[in-house]
Amino acid sequence: MDKCRINIVIIEPSDIIFEGLSILLLKTGQRIYLYRISDFDELSNLSEKEKINIVIQNPVILQNRMNYFTKLKKQYPDILWFGLVYSYFDSELLNKFNEIISISDTIEIITKKLNNQYKQCGCKNNLQEELSEREIDVLVQLVKGLSNKQIADKLNISIHTVISHRKNIIEKTGIKSLSGMTIYAISKKIISLDMAVL
Amino acid sequence: MSDLINENYSLLMLLEHLNIDFAVGDKTVSQICKENNISKSVFLVVSNLYNGFYPDKGDIHSISDIPIIIRLLKNSHRFYKEDKYPEIKEYLMKLHDKHNTEDIKLIEKFFNDYFNEVLEHLDYEEQTAFPYFCQLIESESIQQESNFSAREYKEHHSDIETKLTDLKNLMLKHITFKNDLPLRRKFLYCLFELEFDLNIHSMIEEMILLPLITKVEKQLLNG
Repeated sequence: MDKCRINIVIIEPSDIIFEGLSILLLKTGQRIYLYRISDFDELSNLSEKEKINIVIQNPVILQNRMNYFTKLKKQYPDILWFGLVYSYFDSELLNKFNEIISISDTIEIITKKLNNQYKQCGCKNNLQEELSEREIDVLVQLVKGLSNKQIADKLNISIHTVISHRKNIIEKTGIKSLSGMTIYAISKKIISLDMAVL
Repeated sequence: MSDLINENYSLLMLLEHLNIDFAVGDKTVSQICKENNISKSVFLVVSNLYNGFYPDKGDIHSISDIPIIIRLLKNSHRFYKEDKYPEIKEYLMKLHDKHNTEDIKLIEKFFNDYFNEVLEHLDYEEQTAFPYFCQLIESESIQQESNFSAREYKEHHSDIETKLTDLKNLMLKHITFKNDLPLRRKFLYCLFELEFDLNIHSMIEEMILLPLITKVEKQLLNG
């Protein structure tokens, strides 16, 4: 629902560092939710509940576990991996990360690093709510009671495109149920009352 | 206990679900739990949910905690059926009286259909799921003919939160009214409150009750 919210998991044994980093991250101006875990094992549990965007970790826990890290990256292809570095590490290890935050980084640098990486995640920071013409076409058919397949046939587009339009409609309007969308469509005068299947 | 409530007054809803009186005096959480015959671990895990913290695996592991969790869920059903939903209905009727528009009629219809779905779901839990769970903890084996299981419960567990969120978003983002802020505020407060409690309700079911029931089922199957 909240597409611009960034869920960040921090794996850092030191309380002082964790607290300090948390405060800086919350000051970056991004909508950040923080989770702290002590080991990768907890990641699977957490990722079931929340979509994790970024994991920030002390590379110490990965030292001599390079294969394990490669496996993790495969297991969670959507996660961005940040290293939090405050001592010397082999560059081979550091290169495995998408980004490195150094202990001496200022808030400006951290913000920049976060923004650089996060834009690549496809978050457009776009809060525009107007539905596009095509989305309106799909919405109209949806509230008439047509299935994805029927809509695809009627509008001459693929089912995947229909599904992706649906997803966008839900994101933009904040409304998931068909009956909710119907009310939306009527109140925005997209369809008239007698067109809808209520 | 009064410190906890002062910190987060949503806990009053939890107290109500557990039939704990609000006049807690200076009693500690332990004392209150003991007096009301409620397992302290259950109380803590659930009140943590109200404070925004998820339970850890294994926080609630005792099968003997199942009855109190079911009692809590049943009482919250009553809270929804007899308290929150009627309250929302009443606000909607008042809104309708003042704004006789097409939109509000649609919203009312949306809500009434939705309310019926909710009642159906709650009835299903009370008449099918909960009795099965209760029978399960008392029995020594799983009856083969029983065509119900925790897994089915999970699948049936329809998403009654979705339409509530839709209703809220329609009111906040899309439907326009003239004036009547106090009434609309009360209406929205009520939706938020219900949404909050329903959300915790399903977390209790999914993260606490279901794992426990699955555990009992496994134990019984393995004899």
